[in-house]
Amino acid sequence: MVKKRKHSETNAVEPANKDDNSTEERPKRTLLGWKDKPEVKDTDTPGVFRNKEKVLVTCSRRINFRYRHLMLNVVSLLPHCKKDNKVESKSSKGATLNELVELKSCSSCLFFECRKHKDLYLWMAKCPNGPSVKFLVNAVHTMEELKLTGNHLKGSRPLLTFSSNFDKDAHWKLIKELIVQIFGTPKEHRKCKPYHDHVFAFSIVDDHIWFRNYQITVPHNESDKVARGGLDKMTLVEVGPRFCLNPIKIFGGSFGGPTLYENPFYVSPNQIRALEKKQKAGKYAKKVKAKTRRNMHELTNALEPDEFADMWKE
Amino acid sequence: MGISKKDAALFDEDGFEDEDVNDLNEEISESESESESEDEEDVKLAEPSDKAIYNREGLEEKLQDVSWPENVGWIHKLTIDIDQEQEVDVNDDLKREASFYTQALEGTRQAFEKLQSMGLPFLRPPDYYAEMVKTDAHMEKVKRRLLAEQKEMQEAEERKKARESKKLAKEIQAQKMKERAKQKKEEIESVKKWRKQRQQSGFAGDVNDGELDLAFKDGKSFERSNKKRPGVAPGDRSGGKVRQSGGKGKKKKGKDFRDSKFGFGGRKGMKKQNTADTTNDLRAFNKGSNVAGNKKRKRIAIG
Repeated sequence: MVKKRKHSETNAVEPANKDDNSTEERPKRTLLGWKDKPEVKDTDTPGVFRNKEKVLVTCSRRINFRYRHLMLNVVSLLPHCKKDNKVESKSSKGATLNELVELKSCSSCLFFECRKHKDLYLWMAKCPNGPSVKFLVNAVHTMEELKLTGNHLKGSRPLLTFSSNFDKDAHWKLIKELIVQIFGTPKEHRKCKPYHDHVFAFSIVDDHIWFRNYQITVPHNESDKVARGGLDKMTLVEVGPRFCLNPIKIFGGSFGGPTLYENPFYVSPNQIRALEKKQKAGKYAKKVKAKTRRNMHELTNALEPDEFADMWKE
Repeated sequence: MGISKKDAALFDEDGFEDEDVNDLNEEISESESESESEDEEDVKLAEPSDKAIYNREGLEEKLQDVSWPENVGWIHKLTIDIDQEQEVDVNDDLKREASFYTQALEGTRQAFEKLQSMGLPFLRPPDYYAEMVKTDAHMEKVKRRLLAEQKEMQEAEERKKARESKKLAKEIQAQKMKERAKQKKEEIESVKKWRKQRQQSGFAGDVNDGELDLAFKDGKSFERSNKKRPGVAPGDRSGGKVRQSGGKGKKKKGKDFRDSKFGFGGRKGMKKQNTADTTNDLRAFNKGSNVAGNKKRKRIAIG
């Protein structure tokens, strides 16, 4: 029994695998190859949904190494993405980015924008006509860190888990939809692998979106199938990266357009730093002020001459 | 709403922020005293600024525009929503991570059940090798670090144990010494007592065995240690070492060994006495000599 099952599964798996390889090697063979395929499918079952998401991942110039590594990690997690050169972020960024996305025939974009070598902003945009979300990225840990001991197949489709408070409000719903479309790997993408061995966790805590990526480890027995009780013994090992997204604004268009949402609690890191500096700068002035005040106080309420001062002098 | 006003300010956001800095500072400085120690990550406005835009209709409209058709199969999305049981404190790292973990685990369970009911393969068979997200070199590094950590922990534990056992041994030793001193004292006492008694009775019962027995009841003090070691001559202090390593060529001889062999006190003559073991030891009679004897005999016979 056991053997039979194994055979059947491997057989079922292999053809899909082969398909993957062949398409990967010869993507341009349009006469019989993949270009025909979707059309055939469309005619077969009209109105069938096919996810053709393509994500452009890029970053601004003068990005920090840590943030660059984060970007590369994201690239390795998304088999359906295209990485592009750094983009000059200062002027007319939106227009150039839109152009670039169109040029690469992508449908969405992740843009890592680094300012002052310190602050990382992440733009998540659907491309031809919006919306786009701008996040501040905090608490970044890359996959290279040795604490994160998990590992998983490159290109296997992730399971996306969301905490239930994503359905609480309109802007969270919109962000969730964007995340599903951008971070979910399309089902029959040529680079994706047929198994599921990692899971993304998106969770809203304290109005920030926290991202975690875990490897799924299930104890295998000989038959390669999960024992029915195997799911209970399932454990997760963190793979990384980790980051925390603080939504700043949601725009109607891609990289621009009317503002639909603005985070009312947001303080930009620039302001925080300025404030800190100001507090530090005030130290000396405060000291001088305190001194003069003390002097004034002493002058106004002078001590009465002590009548017993020379009592023991003799 | 103020959409049209903000339109222009999207791309020169630095300027836009500068405008707001002044009134923001006022707001923050009010709560300055509390928020001094706050971490960079956690800084927030105390209360929501009233100028913030929230265009609910716009958001919903966009959501409609963007989202996939309603009847898309779950297999395309692979999304699972998990209820968070209670509010998680952000600053408590352990609890926060645990909540993420449970969310992911719960989600995976549900997803796997769905996949299983669809009859799709979802677990990687152990003989399916493909490119991984992290390279083997990197995983090797991870492994090495884990091992090093484990080793360090073990070593620390061992050190701790050794320290404790040393302490314990010291205590035991002290106790032993005390006991020995006590025993000695008691023995002396008993002898004195016996002598006194004898004096009192005027040396009357010279052969008063009963009294004597009281003093040395078990005869312990006269008996030598009752550990009888096999193969060790009565006078040998080395504990049979001489005999064991006598024939084994040149070994480096330690000080204690040489003392035991050449004497540092103790009786010498007893070393040469036979014991039951040595008499039964027939190694000295080897067969080779027997053969030689036979030859001789033969030769004699011939001659």
